[in-house]
Amino acid sequence: MSTTPPNVDHTNAESPVTTAHSQPTPLWGTTGQAPRRIPWARLASTGLLTALALFALIGPLIWRQYTSQDLSQFLQPPSLAEPFGHDHLGRSVIARLAHATRLSLGLAIVCVATAATTGVALGLLAAWRRGWVDQMLLGISEIFLALPALLIVLIFAALASGEMWTIYIGIALALWVEYFRVVRARSVSVLTSPAIEAANLLRLGPAHMLRRHLWPELAPVLLTMASLGMATAVLAMSTLSYVGVGLKPPTAELGLLITESLPYYHEAPWMVTAPIVVLLLLLAGLLGLRAQEVRR
Amino acid sequence: MTIELLDVRVNHQGRALVDVPRLTLEPGQAVTIVGESGSGKSLLAHALMGSLPRSLQVQGDIRFGADRSCLADVGARRKLWGHRLALLPQEPVLALDPTMRIDQQVAEGHPRFLHGRRGRLDALEQASERLAGLGLHNVHNTYPHTLSGGMAQRVAFAAATIGGAQVLITDEPSKGLDPVARDSLARLLSQHVEHGGALLTITHDLDLARALGGELLVMQQANIVEHGPAEQVLTAPAHPWTQRLLAAEPNQWVPSWRGAGASSADATPLIEARGLSKAYGGLPLFSGLDLEITPGERLALTGPSGSGKTTLGGILLKLVHPDAGEVIHHPDLADGRVQKLYQDPTVAFPARTPIRAGLRDVTRRHRVDPERVNMLMDRLRLDPSLLDRRPGEISGGELQRIAIIRAMLLNPRVIFADEPTSRLDLLTQQETMDCLMNQVSEQDAALVLVTHDIGLAAAVTDRNLSLDNADPVSMAPARVD
Repeated sequence: MSTTPPNVDHTNAESPVTTAHSQPTPLWGTTGQAPRRIPWARLASTGLLTALALFALIGPLIWRQYTSQDLSQFLQPPSLAEPFGHDHLGRSVIARLAHATRLSLGLAIVCVATAATTGVALGLLAAWRRGWVDQMLLGISEIFLALPALLIVLIFAALASGEMWTIYIGIALALWVEYFRVVRARSVSVLTSPAIEAANLLRLGPAHMLRRHLWPELAPVLLTMASLGMATAVLAMSTLSYVGVGLKPPTAELGLLITESLPYYHEAPWMVTAPIVVLLLLLAGLLGLRAQEVRR
Repeated sequence: MTIELLDVRVNHQGRALVDVPRLTLEPGQAVTIVGESGSGKSLLAHALMGSLPRSLQVQGDIRFGADRSCLADVGARRKLWGHRLALLPQEPVLALDPTMRIDQQVAEGHPRFLHGRRGRLDALEQASERLAGLGLHNVHNTYPHTLSGGMAQRVAFAAATIGGAQVLITDEPSKGLDPVARDSLARLLSQHVEHGGALLTITHDLDLARALGGELLVMQQANIVEHGPAEQVLTAPAHPWTQRLLAAEPNQWVPSWRGAGASSADATPLIEARGLSKAYGGLPLFSGLDLEITPGERLALTGPSGSGKTTLGGILLKLVHPDAGEVIHHPDLADGRVQKLYQDPTVAFPARTPIRAGLRDVTRRHRVDPERVNMLMDRLRLDPSLLDRRPGEISGGELQRIAIIRAMLLNPRVIFADEPTSRLDLLTQQETMDCLMNQVSEQDAALVLVTHDIGLAAAVTDRNLSLDNADPVSMAPARVD
């Protein structure tokens, strides 16, 4: 070391010293690579959701008839061909379950997609324009926040009872607010940051800001919220059917399936257990994904 | 009581980060360690304190008077925290709890704080007294965000010393402080020494080292290369590394870019400001300010923290509206020919995007040859692989140089540099300023440099606009040493 000349130049970019420089300053107690843990929770929930999605996609193709009644099959116990037996009207329980899962998952995806698109678009608009647009949208969102989500869905369900679109619009209306609020709050802080000031001075357009500044900041939060929102939507749908204001029989829906089979709880416990288990697995899968909080 | 560290070694994956055979702290004596960032000086302090990250292995012994223990025995040292050993952390604004009133925070370090209600009240009273003694009379029940950097530093000092620790370790205490605040900090630390305390200061600020005096150790790449009384080491350095460190002080620079930018006084100004006024929270920062920036000129905006330097810059760049007056930009400045460098470059880049992607957006938008990025990276001696990292993952000096590259891609006519090197150590500062000034004179751009370092302003600029509160606006040519 003592041979280092006083005005040594810095061409030695590969030397270990310079590499040491480029290391970020260690945060006390957490230097070095964090030990990589295998994300068991995420693997398990992804597997679970894949299995359920396959059941929802392929199931209805295998067990096509979910409404055909055959009273001679009244409360037939499970067999190899019919893993969950037949219900009180002699309908195949597995077929109804497959169709119900497809309906729940499909409607949940559509609801969340609608709510997220609306919420993100309005949130970005409010954060970008500020002023009266922001104030107005904030006011509207506060009205929705003040009402319980289920009440909104119930109001729509009351308009046209048992129709699919009322459920869809009701749930989407209940869900968009959270996307709006979160996206707006995060975008405001990003858009007022020095990074955006620098991007403006560099004359980089809105596409750059959206892609490099806003999207990387919003995406992880949105994914978390979407999986939680799906769980909410599935649960809301089942709750509505269960209390009798949702979809009408003979549509196969998880909540409806539970209501229908409850009176035969003693004679055919498998019949009421099956939809409950599917519902629980669906929620567990979605919440397991959500357990991967945004860790930075 | 004397504290001795013997054969200290800190290793990370087989590489020695600190290798110091002996370090002695005597009561009533100040020991200062200087060196560039990454030389291991902070790690040495944390090895003494027992607060090293777990991923680092430490070897060696520590002797408190007669009893000797192993440095790796962190638990034993932890018991000494507060009443024997205390650490004044880096950047006190970040170290203070933002949700606690400051007297409560300071009181928590008092030995009687946990001894019932009476002890707690005693501690609070002591804390208020201590804060008043440090000149913080009316702020003892406010929150940290209302304090200036210098005040926060004094609060942190009160919190660190209320436990009665004889040994005080300070880690870069002058980071981000202006000269006035730094001098009062130096007085504070000297008082601790005069009252019989032992002081270990880690810094890259040679002015602070000068003010503290005592014993000075120079660290380079894990080793102590020179030690001796501060005056002697700082005036007659023996080791080449120390000489180089001293030569990196701005008033010692022998710049190659000096006088390169021919300042044409008669040329039409690029930025013209008339009658600017701005007040912040009822307090006027400046009023009736006229200013012209001509092509190729180097202007310094100096003044203590909070004097409105950055705000004035923002107004000149049309990022902030003045309360009165107007700013006229020359038509040449359209389309991004005014660029800004930030004090903390990490906040000026999109945080979660690799740097390369951000730069690619710039080259695409302005149809710059992407090869120019590589060429500039090469010229500024930066490893191209740095571009694949995110802004938070490379050092401040490197990122600041990349920020300079990014600004230069647009061939700017005016560069506004807001304290571009105040968070960097001397060597990195010299390197970064060198790189900036070479680019500025090559592009024949005008430079507006905001700084509280008078030496830096004198070394780099031709004209100095001081925004001192006592003397709001004075125009004077900078002294050139």
